[in-house]
Amino acid sequence: MTGRQVDEQALEWAIRAADPLFDDWDGLTGWLEADPGNHDRYDDALAAMAEARDRVAAMPVQTAPVAANDERPVRHGFWRWGGSATAAMLVAVVGVSVWSERSQPYAVETAPGEQRTVQLADGSEVVLAGGSRVTLDRADARVASVERGEMLFRVRHDAAHPFRVTAGDTQMVDLGTVFDVTRDPGRVRIAVAEGAVMVAPDGAKLRLDPGQAVVASGGELRRQSATDVGGWREGRLTFDNAPLSDVARDLTRELGRTVRADPALADRPFSGTIDIRSLRNDPARLGRLLGVSVRIDGEAWVLGDDR
Amino acid sequence: MSVPMSSNGLEAVYLANRDKLVRFLAARGAGDAAEDLVNDLWLKISTSSSSGPIANPLSYLFRAADTLMIDRYRAKRQGEKREQDWYELRGSGEASSEPVGERVIGAQQEVAKVAAVLARLGARREAIFRRARIDGVSQRQIAAELGVSLSTVEADLRIATRALIELKDELQ
Repeated sequence: MTGRQVDEQALEWAIRAADPLFDDWDGLTGWLEADPGNHDRYDDALAAMAEARDRVAAMPVQTAPVAANDERPVRHGFWRWGGSATAAMLVAVVGVSVWSERSQPYAVETAPGEQRTVQLADGSEVVLAGGSRVTLDRADARVASVERGEMLFRVRHDAAHPFRVTAGDTQMVDLGTVFDVTRDPGRVRIAVAEGAVMVAPDGAKLRLDPGQAVVASGGELRRQSATDVGGWREGRLTFDNAPLSDVARDLTRELGRTVRADPALADRPFSGTIDIRSLRNDPARLGRLLGVSVRIDGEAWVLGDDR
Repeated sequence: MSVPMSSNGLEAVYLANRDKLVRFLAARGAGDAAEDLVNDLWLKISTSSSSGPIANPLSYLFRAADTLMIDRYRAKRQGEKREQDWYELRGSGEASSEPVGERVIGAQQEVAKVAAVLARLGARREAIFRRARIDGVSQRQIAAELGVSLSTVEADLRIATRALIELKDELQ
């Protein structure tokens, strides 16, 4: 962002201090005091590290030494830079950061092609599509952080304690609701089936009613219409003028098999509904549906030009 | 390992180490505002309604101070970015659909490059990076989980972090 090189010593301190057991704060103070430029170098290193973290978090887990679909405790503590820290929100962010040290976050994850329903203590539920991951909090059933993939929230409304969902830099609160959140690298989409959702409650305050959706990308919000919200739970994927690259990404999530679009076709729009079950082992059928050829490349299906 | 901590206990630790926290905040970039910030910080911590065990109260306070400075840095950077976006928007006259398409391709290229870096790093370094940075697990625990030495985890984490940061320079 700044174009500045990340300083080696600063990065060393940043990595050490990020460890939850780090306690050499005197040492860090001493290093910071040694040069008036060190605190800028340290901030740059922390920011670069957070960006690296976000980049990896957006990638599917390839190695999976810890099994997917496994509820394991995670501690984010202070090291999550979630939320949109507008100046107006600064106080709230500090409050949340302090509080989250005492929260009990845990993650729920699905493998591609799998679905999973999580019941929350307040009676709400989250249905995860394949290849998705959400962070929840045992200490507070009214918060969720969408780490990647797609999920449907069926929220029990409580006006006094709105349900807050974070997906990257995008925040939303329910206004009595069934809604779907998709997070892919650089893009968050929110679609409402029932009730209403307020997106960016601390900023744009954009209200979504049933049948409405919004895409947050590159710092801007764009409205869309939403059809068949959560249809993926019944094996249906509905697209309205979606680029083939998006279709391929959603298919990857639901089929549990890599589907990718040839770069030449990535932007070609597709409208229609795909029944996942009917084409699980039938690439030719998918090809006819999308009007493309499907080439088999190892485990992956590649969408290419018809001719 | 973690000891339940009454707010009085935390307050005692705060009072005994207040000067150190001020010094840390000043060195961390707060300068003359460090005194005010440490007061704000303590107010927020002491009035926070949730309570729970705190393993290391002093580290907890330093961590909170560090986070405060991270948030300030982020708010400043986002303000700068907004301003820049605004000027760019004004300069280009309208938001055409073309940059959006370019962004889509850019995102795909980024994913491919991250995947390539992770493949080059190998499964163990990727797993260590994910456990440390995404799950927030301590290096000591990761070493125990993987059955490797702490120094191996430290070295792997350093290499993985460096490679992923250098990737950013490449992307721009």
